[in-house]
Amino acid sequence: MNAVAPTVRRSRRWKTGPFWVALQVALSGSLLLLFLLPIFALFTYAPVSRIVAAAGNVEVREAIWVTLYASGIAVLASALLAIPLGYLLARKRFFGRAIIESVVGLPVVVPHLMVGLGLFLLVLPGSPLYSFTNAIGFPVYDTIWGVVLVMAVVSAPYTVLASQLSFEAVDGRVLESARSLGAGPGTTFLTVTLPVALRGIVAGLLLTWARAVSEIGGILILAYAIYPGGPYNGPVTSTISVYIYNLFQQGDLADAAAVSSLFLLIAFALFLAVRVGERTGWLPWRRGDLTP
Amino acid sequence: MSEWLIDGVETDLDAFHLGPVDLSLRSGQAVAVLGSSGAGKTTFLRTLAGFLPLRGGRLLRDGVDISDWLPEERALGYVPQGLGLFPQRTVFGNVRYPMELRGRLDANSRTEDLLARFRLTALKHRHPARLSGGEQQRVALARALAAEPELIVWDEPWQALDVEARRELGLVLTELRGEEGIPVVVVTHDPGLAFSVADSFVVLDRGRVGLKGSALDLLERPSNAFVARFVGYENVYDRAALEAGRDHPFTAWLLAASGSEGVAVGTPLAVPTIGVPSTWEGVVRSARPNPEGVRVEVAVDDLMVALRLPRPWPTNLPAVGDRLRFNVDTESVHSLGAGARSAR
Repeated sequence: MNAVAPTVRRSRRWKTGPFWVALQVALSGSLLLLFLLPIFALFTYAPVSRIVAAAGNVEVREAIWVTLYASGIAVLASALLAIPLGYLLARKRFFGRAIIESVVGLPVVVPHLMVGLGLFLLVLPGSPLYSFTNAIGFPVYDTIWGVVLVMAVVSAPYTVLASQLSFEAVDGRVLESARSLGAGPGTTFLTVTLPVALRGIVAGLLLTWARAVSEIGGILILAYAIYPGGPYNGPVTSTISVYIYNLFQQGDLADAAAVSSLFLLIAFALFLAVRVGERTGWLPWRRGDLTP
Repeated sequence: MSEWLIDGVETDLDAFHLGPVDLSLRSGQAVAVLGSSGAGKTTFLRTLAGFLPLRGGRLLRDGVDISDWLPEERALGYVPQGLGLFPQRTVFGNVRYPMELRGRLDANSRTEDLLARFRLTALKHRHPARLSGGEQQRVALARALAAEPELIVWDEPWQALDVEARRELGLVLTELRGEEGIPVVVVTHDPGLAFSVADSFVVLDRGRVGLKGSALDLLERPSNAFVARFVGYENVYDRAALEAGRDHPFTAWLLAASGSEGVAVGTPLAVPTIGVPSTWEGVVRSARPNPEGVRVEVAVDDLMVALRLPRPWPTNLPAVGDRLRFNVDTESVHSLGAGARSAR
């Protein structure tokens, strides 16, 4: 009996009181409500038939396709360019590191219209970069490459930050073990550092993708309309965000809501797939596997 | 198996300087590196493993100078504190890793053999995060052996293990030395296991070798309070404390035998009340029976002295406030610090 008594006291002490539970539920619930109410508004404004019709509309499909395509390339570019920078910032100590970190944060904090304007001025017809991008077959003004460029600039910082944090979190002793077991620095990076940091990096790439897809400010300036060229050969179109903005400007609220609802469903399905993949083992890691 | 010579090895880590450290290791020999926190134990192991550059001295394997070799070229199984298991790999993947690097065709079968040897077969699909401390240790050891090391260097192998797992790991390490002849260097805080596994000891003190030798050397010449406590001296007194109480006869007597840091005294036997002459007397503060008899703590002057009452156990244990008499064998008194010597 004596052995039981302290356990009871202990569990009572650690049990969260009803007031705190209520407070947690109220605060978290309020936030979730803030997320869900606009979505609810969109779905209730647009009848299901309109959403189905939007899904069948060629213009809408073209806009969605261009958005996914451009954001996919932006994510790949981020993976290629931002992960090495994240690694550099995580592992090396050098003069000017703080300045580089601040530069990386800039596209996140400034209004994206400014990013678009900066890029626009950079590739203004007649500028050296305008001639260069045209010469190598990557014209950016009002093309899919312009969309990719804006998306990459505003979203790659998320990959840099996520990969920096993920690389910093890799235990140096694990790396020393790998070296001692016979792996050179390159092999250690590929077989240990990168796989251990992968989950955080992928989370960063997902954020990058989300940020790229939702971009509108910079695109309005640099690639308001997308003309055929590069990997896109369809009719003149725009990204889904610009497409919805146009519908809104024309006063077509029902269609704007229907297209938004449709895109929300696609985005939600993609995020859900990743989470389910984590839990079922479809993705190469599970929740908790990478936490010692 | 290889013979290793650590010849005047020195290194710097920020403001900390280690060395010079001299040590030789024959096949199957095990050395325990002891020292208090910040003594340089981990720095020493990381230097051996090639993660810190040598500032002086050299490291020879079978007569070949490998001081400038990269960590991956040294054939040295370094197990860091925390074990350094790969969190994203399963037990099987961890143990297989060194053989993958070497492109061994029999990697799978050899991994299975090692898993069976370390009783890990049932756990082979688990990730390290889902293993107990003892299981993780076995994975680390199996993985180190998979790389066919010429020397195993292990930082705190018994950290966070329960008693049974510690005993088991001690047996495994002893077996490694015996059957495979792989020399082992371990850093540890655990005296019992250090004595059961190692046949020689290096005591580091603020980056320098304070003492080197066998268990008997350590017992005969415990150079400082850390070593004295490590090897089992229960009565270790700081010189400053002795000087503060020098007016008392027992304290003054210990002070006379003290070195610059203090003095260590082997546990004296309490003497029967009648028949045997005794020199000192103390007041009982506590008494605890153990397999050898009774351990009694008495207060003499302002000092606490641990005494031993041999078996058979008395019907009544000494009570708090009782008086107990004892003699101190002068051969069990050792001065600590500079000018350390035995009192004999």
